[in-house]
Amino acid sequence: MHPHLTHEPAETGYDKLLQGWLSGEMRLVNSGLPRERRRLSELLAEQQPAIGCSDGSQQMLKRSELGYLADLLDEEEQQTLLLPILIEMAGDETESVVLCPSDVELKVVSAVLGMKMNYEQPGRVRLYRPQLSLLRRKLKTTTQYAFSSRTVD
Amino acid sequence: MAQLIKVRPTKIELVKLKRRLKLSQRVQKIVKDRLSILTMEFLQAARETVTARKRTITAMSEAYKAVTVASGYHGYVALQKELVACEADITVTAGPRGVAGIKLPSLELNEPSGGLRGYNLTQTSSLVDSASDTSREALRAIIELAELQRGLELLGTEINRTKRITNALEYIVIPSLQATIRFLSMKFEERDREEKARLKRVKVMLARKEG
Repeated sequence: MHPHLTHEPAETGYDKLLQGWLSGEMRLVNSGLPRERRRLSELLAEQQPAIGCSDGSQQMLKRSELGYLADLLDEEEQQTLLLPILIEMAGDETESVVLCPSDVELKVVSAVLGMKMNYEQPGRVRLYRPQLSLLRRKLKTTTQYAFSSRTVD
Repeated sequence: MAQLIKVRPTKIELVKLKRRLKLSQRVQKIVKDRLSILTMEFLQAARETVTARKRTITAMSEAYKAVTVASGYHGYVALQKELVACEADITVTAGPRGVAGIKLPSLELNEPSGGLRGYNLTQTSSLVDSASDTSREALRAIIELAELQRGLELLGTEINRTKRITNALEYIVIPSLQATIRFLSMKFEERDREEKARLKRVKVMLARKEG
């Protein structure tokens, strides 16, 4: 259809630039997201544990952090825990959500923070900024931020 | 006052501007979220750097003290003879770790497996053991400090860049879009009012003609 006949006006260069900027920022902030999450038990067996990121790079995981997580969990839980643990940013800049596909993530978060955490919604644990800071201090390479489109809207 | 964008005063341009404003606000939200995360990571890294720096200085001075005492006890030549045999390459695993779109360095000292020290335990005293332990601790502290300090620099640079983008959006792009939208809306309202007044006058004139 001819652009002048549509109800929506045609995109100008400026709109395209802004759209490009938005998608560029989204791509940039999520460039560290894993292509696939890997089990703790697998990573513990590797000499140099690493995870492939969505931008094609490799994220190194510290063996000391993996050892710390292994100490918290039994063998069955080590096979269930998928790394990195994803932290979704909520829109209001003061809160964030840890995505917990299983109860093992919840156990890890509770142990790291030293307090019992509960699901806010199934598979989602809400963290406040000081808690997030504490979690990130202890698990630098085994946690990762995720900015979703839900955050944006 | 925000600068007006030069556009044709048409409804189609108004729709375009409103869409641009929505997009800009979405970009601003992402950039602000990112900035807050980077700032939090920066403050944390700064606190950790201060602690790591203190720990490095303490570890280094303890290591030097221990080596001095050990060499004083055994004699410099004898100590060096023992230590030459246990020289080992230090290996550090280095790789990037991503934080909200930037790659920070991640360094980890590979500890040698097994508890063997490499020197003759029967011919040396516990002073050499202490010197070895404190030196290893100093090495660990240096590596940790290197990682934190480089990360701090990278975070600082990225915060500056992100802040410029946020400020540009907050103080220039969005206000000028809002001002232009307001200007165009007022212009259209004014045009509508003029149109209504003209129609009324035409109606009156027609009524007069018929009458």
